[in-house]
Amino acid sequence: MKATRWAMRLAPIFLALSGCASQRVIFHSLPPETPAADNAAAIKHIQALMAQAKAAAEGGAKNAKQAEAVEAPVTAAEAPSMTTYDPWGRLNRFTYRFNARFDEAVFLPVANHYRRLPSPLRAGVNNFFSNLTEVGSVINYALQGRLGRGAKSLGRFLINSTIGIGGLIDVAARLQLPRAPTGFAMTLSQWGMHPGPYAVIPFYGPSTLREAIGVAADYGVSYGVNLADLYRGPQSWGLGTLNAVDQRANIDFRYYDTGSPFEYDTISFLYMRKLLIEDAALHPPKERNPSVPAGK
Amino acid sequence: MKLSIIALTLAALCISRMAAADPPIKPPPAAPGLATGLADSAALRATVFGTPPQDIAPLPAKVPLFEMDLLMPWARPVPAVFWFDRRLRVWFSAQPKPAPLAIIISGAGSDGNTTKLSTLRAVLYGAGYHVLTVPSPTFPGFIVSTSSTGVAGDLLQDGHDLYAAMVEIIAHLPRKVQITDVDVLGYSLGGANAAIVKSIDASEHKLHVHRALMINPPVSLFATVGRLDKLFAITLGKGDAGIELFYQKLYAQLANLYRASDRVQLDEDFLLGAAASALKTDAEFSAAIALAFRIALSNVFFAGDLYSGAGVVVDPKHPPKVGDSLEETARILRGKSFSEYFTKVLAPYYLKRRPNSTRDTLIAQNRLEVIGDALRSDPDYYAQTNSNDLILDAADLAWLKTTLGPRIAVYDHGGHLGNLGDRQQVSDMLDMLGGRWQAGAQ
Repeated sequence: MKATRWAMRLAPIFLALSGCASQRVIFHSLPPETPAADNAAAIKHIQALMAQAKAAAEGGAKNAKQAEAVEAPVTAAEAPSMTTYDPWGRLNRFTYRFNARFDEAVFLPVANHYRRLPSPLRAGVNNFFSNLTEVGSVINYALQGRLGRGAKSLGRFLINSTIGIGGLIDVAARLQLPRAPTGFAMTLSQWGMHPGPYAVIPFYGPSTLREAIGVAADYGVSYGVNLADLYRGPQSWGLGTLNAVDQRANIDFRYYDTGSPFEYDTISFLYMRKLLIEDAALHPPKERNPSVPAGK
Repeated sequence: MKLSIIALTLAALCISRMAAADPPIKPPPAAPGLATGLADSAALRATVFGTPPQDIAPLPAKVPLFEMDLLMPWARPVPAVFWFDRRLRVWFSAQPKPAPLAIIISGAGSDGNTTKLSTLRAVLYGAGYHVLTVPSPTFPGFIVSTSSTGVAGDLLQDGHDLYAAMVEIIAHLPRKVQITDVDVLGYSLGGANAAIVKSIDASEHKLHVHRALMINPPVSLFATVGRLDKLFAITLGKGDAGIELFYQKLYAQLANLYRASDRVQLDEDFLLGAAASALKTDAEFSAAIALAFRIALSNVFFAGDLYSGAGVVVDPKHPPKVGDSLEETARILRGKSFSEYFTKVLAPYYLKRRPNSTRDTLIAQNRLEVIGDALRSDPDYYAQTNSNDLILDAADLAWLKTTLGPRIAVYDHGGHLGNLGDRQQVSDMLDMLGGRWQAGAQ
């Protein structure tokens, strides 16, 4: 009986994955592009950069310490190796393919429909889920010994949960308390754990052993705290799906847009470097042996 | 006795193979002049950063868009490592009323939905065109799904493949789309492709192309890529070491930026910020341009090697499968130049299939001169280029001016595509496609 129920749940996914394979032409209606808005955003960004550059030039002499930190070079010797530590490469590549197929058949079409909803509604959903992560951030900042930041996350949570109507409006950001999420993976990094082997997680995407442990722990904390009974019972499936769709809709990435068979290698390279940059911000970078793969 | 017979047979086989082996093909002649062509310092920077957003022409607020994924009737079997490229992916923006269609072809190695294409799409849609954007015939998705050879980079063959693809796409457009006229345009290599497509249509009459516009086109394909090879060798050196150092430099700058701003993102703006502060000298900007070209070439090389069975980086008897690591192959390919692609993959493939052709005729067929008569006599070919474009030298620019006469606009800034979408370029483009262009008015 249980097996039948599972089969019925999974059937639409398999149908979607296998369907359309033989059609000559497949049409995908996409949310309209908004180049005027994009361009306006790009212009604003450039103006902000120019203002920053001007402010830095004017205030450079006053804030010598900060200028020194910006200019302190990371030398070539400190930079990591070009190769990624990927002992599970074969499994990872198969998982990457599974994720690509699932994304194309199920996740992305749903996210594209979601993107058509009015943006204030989507912003509300995004704020709501972001607000829930503040609980984990408070705990993890405490574990990292960064109590000031933890207090800010707590402040954000209290303000947004009350004045922000259950987290739907990010009031705290307007009160100069911007989002600064952290998780258990960052805590592990703070405690000195290496990223470990590169790992592609089904449905989730690029990760490492450390990140995977972190994600599992973050979910464990959410499940344990079970804020407003959101993480247990049938409603947790619906909310979990909405959260996943909202996150996907906010990620501007499509599998194999590059058309290249080397995409997996490029993504693992960039992902690992992103982690190393985060690590470098937490710990002063040491001399690295360039022959040791990045992440090991 | 048996052993000696086997040995003799093997020796005879080896000798006959050696005798039958084709003589090595010489690479295309070295590109004359500077590796950076006509580009000066400002042109290199404009090429890397593109058109400043504040200079871009007014764009419509929203552009409707749908994607078409097509299975081509003539598609070849898809190699396992290219499982995701079975269909040709193109994008279409439809007007609600009868309208002319503008088909835009992407630049070398790029797909049909680049930022540059988005800008052109928005501009042309805003001007009342249906807009179809298609990938370059050198984009791996096109090579696998659509190319009739799998060996991309030959201007005429790529033109024929593109033409067939366009006919197929238009045949499958929704019925409510009513097309009154067809214009073809493209940027960079896509510009040359657009002109070839119009010339093919002049004899096949399946698309009824009216006007063709080339934006920053190359004049001689092999001279251009030869120049980019030279640029790569000068700025990054041979092999991996130079590329590693270049990546490391960028990485180091990203780390510095993170420390300064407490922000971790790998989006375009962040990388642009990193590039802006990490790249300082002309050599570094040149290296960034050369590296971008080399990465695109890696895909073309890999696909061509796989399809032709040349065996340079792919063992034809044991082609890679889905779970196989390609990290080492990618590393080897980064060190391979276009000249090597020409001598080991492209030329052997086409010389075998075109009985009367030679290395020299192959090189000559990859110059725009191959449709020179049409470019000179047909008033519906247009071009826009820059006097400091790095893919041209002085002789190329002079040839374009002489051949197209009043149907070319030459701007004094922008390098290679660094002014695409700016007000002047857009206004002239719309005049050219609308048949209103007057040379003196620019």
